[in-house]
Order: sequence, then C-alpha cells, then structure tokens
Amino acid sequence: MSQTTAKSSPKISLLRVLGPAHVWALGVGIVLVGEYMGWNFAVGKGGAYAALIACWAAGLLYTCVAMIDSEVTSTVAAAGGQYAQAKHIIGPLMAFNVGLYLVFAYTMLEAANAITVGFLVDTVAGMSGHSGIDQRPFIVLSIIFLAWLNYRGVLATLTFSLVITAFAFVAIIVLFFGVAPWNVDSPLKHVELLGNQPALPYGWLGVLAAMHFGLWYYLGIEGTTQAAEEVRSPARSLPFGTMAGIITLLIAATLTWYVSTGLMPWEYLGQAGVPLFDAARLSGSTVLMVILGIGTLFSTLASANGCINDASRAWFSMGRDHYLPAWFGAVHPTYRTPYRSIIFLVPIALIFALGAPLDQVITFSIVSGLLGYTFMPLNIILFRRKWPLDTIKRGYVHPFHPLPAIVLLALCGVTYVAVFLGYGTQLVSMVAFYIVVSLWFHFWRYQFVSRGKQFTMPWPRPKGY
Amino acid sequence: MDIWNMLEYAAWGLSILFGLHMIYDWYKTDSTYSEDVLTSSREGELEAMAEHHKVGS
Amino acid sequence: MAYKPPNQGKIGQVIDVIVLLALTIGTLYIPLWLGLAGAAKTPAPIENPTWETLNQSPVAVERWNALGFADPASANDIITARFDYSFAMGELLIMAVVVIGYFFLIIRLSGKEYHEVIAEKFGSQK
Repeated sequence: MSQTTAKSSPKISLLRVLGPAHVWALGVGIVLVGEYMGWNFAVGKGGAYAALIACWAAGLLYTCVAMIDSEVTSTVAAAGGQYAQAKHIIGPLMAFNVGLYLVFAYTMLEAANAITVGFLVDTVAGMSGHSGIDQRPFIVLSIIFLAWLNYRGVLATLTFSLVITAFAFVAIIVLFFGVAPWNVDSPLKHVELLGNQPALPYGWLGVLAAMHFGLWYYLGIEGTTQAAEEVRSPARSLPFGTMAGIITLLIAATLTWYVSTGLMPWEYLGQAGVPLFDAARLSGSTVLMVILGIGTLFSTLASANGCINDASRAWFSMGRDHYLPAWFGAVHPTYRTPYRSIIFLVPIALIFALGAPLDQVITFSIVSGLLGYTFMPLNIILFRRKWPLDTIKRGYVHPFHPLPAIVLLALCGVTYVAVFLGYGTQLVSMVAFYIVVSLWFHFWRYQFVSRGKQFTMPWPRPKGY
Repeated sequence: MDIWNMLEYAAWGLSILFGLHMIYDWYKTDSTYSEDVLTSSREGELEAMAEHHKVGS
Repeated sequence: MAYKPPNQGKIGQVIDVIVLLALTIGTLYIPLWLGLAGAAKTPAPIENPTWETLNQSPVAVERWNALGFADPASANDIITARFDYSFAMGELLIMAVVVIGYFFLIIRLSGKEYHEVIAEKFGSQK
C-alpha cells in the first residue's frame, strides 16, 4: 500500500483512507452472515411467525441504535467507537466495560463465523460423498488468513469486505427472484407449510423468546463507529454508512424470512446450520445452490473480517489510554494497523472457535452486544444533558429525542427476558464476570490511567460539573 | 487420499504460513523501532486537524 | 494538581493480561463444566410415527424428503423437539436484580471517576 499521507514527524497513527462504501461494508459485512445462519434459531424458539415479529422488533431496536449511535459518533470520532463515547460522556469504568463488550461481542462472533465455515465445508464435502472431514484446518485458516489481511492494512481489508459483502447481499436478492414468488409454479408454499399448524407453537411467550436470536439478524451494525479514525470524513460518512446499512439489513432480513419459511418446514428451519443454503438446495436449481453456497462462505468471511477489525480497534484504544497494558497501544509503522492487538486476539478466537459449542459462543456474543445496547440510551440521554444541542456541533442530530432512547431501553429489557428463557445461567454468569472485572479495574487497573489526558475531544466543560 | 484430504493439508499449511509471516513481521517491527515511536498514537489528535467543533454557544 | 500515573513494567502488564484472560475463559467454560449451560430442546418422539401423525402436510413431506429425511422416523426427533419455557418467578427476579445492580454499580463508580477527569481537564471550579 502506498503511504502518500505519511508525515515526517515521528508520530505514527492510523490512516484516514476509507470512504462511506467501506463503512457500509464494515457494518453490513459483519451482520449479513446473520441472514445466512443463526437467525433461524428464532424460528426454533418461537415458530415461523414469532421469528418474523422478532425480526421487525429487533429491526426497530437497531434503528434506534443506529440513530443514537450516529449522533454521538458524528461528534466523538475516535477508533474505540462506543468505548471513546462512554469515556467522554459517562466515565472511565463505563468505558472499560463498553470496550470489553465490543471486544467480546466481536471476537465471539468471529469464532462463530469460523465454526460456520467449518460446518459449510463439511456439508459440501458430505454432498460430494466424502464424510468425516476434519473441520479444524478450515476454521484455523479462516481466522489466521483474515488476521493476516487485517495486519497488512485497513484499506485492502475493507475493500475485500466490500466485494464479498456485496456478493453475499446480491445472492439473497437473486434467490428471491430465482424462486419467483409471483409465479403460480413457484416453489414457495407458505400456505401448505404453515397452514395446518398453530401459528405460534409456544404462544406469545415464544415470540418473546425469539427476540434472543432476533438480534442476530442485525448484531454488529454498530461496529461502523470503530472505523472513525480511518474514515476520511467521519461526521458525514459514519451516519450515512450506518443508515444505509440498516436499510440493507431490513430488506435482506425480511426477504430471507419470506423465502426460507416458504421452502422448508419450520421444525427443520429452526435447527438448520446453513438455512439459506438449504433453501437454495430446495429451490431445485443448481445455479442457485452454488451462488448461495458461495454467498454463505463470503458472508462468514466478511463478518469475521469486520470482527477482527473492530475488536482490535477497541482493544488498541484501551491499550492506548492504559486501560489495558500500554503495549497494545502500538501502531504498525508501515501498515498503520494496531498490529499487536490483532495478533493477540487470534489465539483467543481460536480457543473459542475450536473448544466451545456454537450456541454458547453466539450467546456470549449476544449478551455482550445487548449490554452495549443498554448502555446507548443512558449515553445519549447524558450526552444531550451535558452538552445540549447548541454547545457543540454535531454532524448528525437524531430526531424525536428521547423517544428512541426509551424504546431502545424497553426493547433491551424484553431481550434480557428472552435470553433468560433458556440461557439464564449464562446471562447471570456473564454479568457476574463484568462485575468482577469492573471491581478489578476500579481498584487496581485505573491507577495507570492519566486522569485529564484521556478526555481528548475539543469540547467545552460539560453542564453541571 | 482424495481432494478433500489434500484441502485439509493445504489449509493447515497456509495457516502456518500466514501465521509465521505475521509473527516474523511483528518481531522485525518491534526490533527495528523504539517502543516510544510505536506507541505514539494518541486519541483525538487526528480530530484536531480534520474536524472543527464550534465551541461556545 | 494533575494525577501522575505510575509506569507499569513488562511483568505487571503480562500479569494483568493473564488475569483478564483467566476471567474470560472461566466465564464461558465454568457454566459448561458445571453442566448448567444450554437450553437444548428436548425431543418427545411419538410411537410409530407417520407423516400424518406428525402433522406434516403433503408439501412438507416432499420437502423433508428433499432434505434427506426419507421416512417419518428420521424426522421424528426434529419435529417433536420443544423448548421448556417454564421458569420460576424468583429466578427472573434474581436476574433483574443482578442486571440492574450491575448497571447501577458501573454508573456510580464511573461518575466518581468522571468528576476527577473533568476537574483535571478543565480545572476545578465551584
């Protein structure tokens, strides 16, 4: 990569090279895999219609997330994303927690993606008549190759993401047109497949429970903010890329639900490993099957790629502020990437990808994400209170405040109950984990942090202090 | 030994290659540059150039 | 008077990382070891299943076949598996207390630290 913008000063920083399309690719790339796998567990938890309700309720939740996040990010443009927001708006301990939410949500999602790559290779090998393939080398290769790509520079990494994400998105659209729902002999048979069954096999409790995996349709879209120090004009690109991402995902999620429920019995769909690939197999077209197979592979790689990018930025930012050992705050002098954080997170992703069951890994990721969404409404309310609209210039101001914050908080509450239904132990054990590390940070780690210097935004004194 | 077995070995091999390349570059970088230069990035310095926040009401 | 943080040596940095790692891995694996994890669906297979008794329409049967389930017995477990959503109100309350207590703790301690940050950054007034 050319280093035309390198300065002669000895300071090394991340490079501003990305445009809005890369932001879209980072946001959608991480999430789109949710349509290829994982969302369908919502069908298992509550039935087909419950999954659709959860899809839209979660869509509302994420629209609030995107609006709130866009406003704060268009003002706090720093690599840590929500971590830097929390540091400036709520306080250091909250920031430390938010930084960890980000790292764990993304690293676990990366592990889940790698597991899916292994599963897909296994499925394809099985279809070609080779059973009992060793999935591990494919899991390891996807994690290490993407880490290597991330290590070598952000522009190449996210351009790669852009190409494969676009392909995976187009594949979903192609599948929709391929099954031609408006045609009389379309293979979609919603009436025959869902007509003779109770609409909600678990009743309304199932709808609630389905919210757990409903998040999976969109989880990670908020990661766009991690690119703040590498985007050419963050105040414009970040809100635009994030909003375009949410719209893309709402379309993709609804199409995915529609096609999948019209092609297979919900009992199967609810436990399928690669549902869109199964849908393509059932459409009877080999071309569709190949396209959706490649789409599944690409979406998992794009997601893991974005996750490495985001998790390492968050880890790096915390190292830079000495929230974590200062050693992690290093930037590669040639590639301009947080290379030590990228390398450090590789073995962690491998431990979870090779050693833990998929639903546990996904739940770990979802709970960390959920805690992060709970932080956002608190964040925006305090942001508007400490710095009202006329005190600092915002690149984007979200409408109807504080309604989105209240809706988001309410939906988060619902989702805690949804996770509790079935995964209560993990929820409590994870929150216990965050309590323990919080005490560790407050009473031990925080001594290494400079007090005033960590407040880096050129803002006036907050109201009320 | 069919194509899938060969792919397994290829995947192991490539993983090791990419991994070693990263570790080699990491070692080279850390021994070429001083720790002060490597950790010289500071949050907010880019913003001071790229963004202008209106301060005051 | 600005606070001067001590410099942390290499060994201290390594120990801090190990502490964090141990906590993380512990959190994921302890519920697994204790056998408390996972809400597996429990299949309730029925005797001598036919597609009709499994409540599958002809189109559904055709799809099951295409997915590789040739006879009703092979799909019996998948079709009849259900989650158990019965729970005790007490457990739900414990969860609510833990989550709300957690956020309360964080906000309180953060607020304390934040006052220091602002005082040092903008100088103390009032």
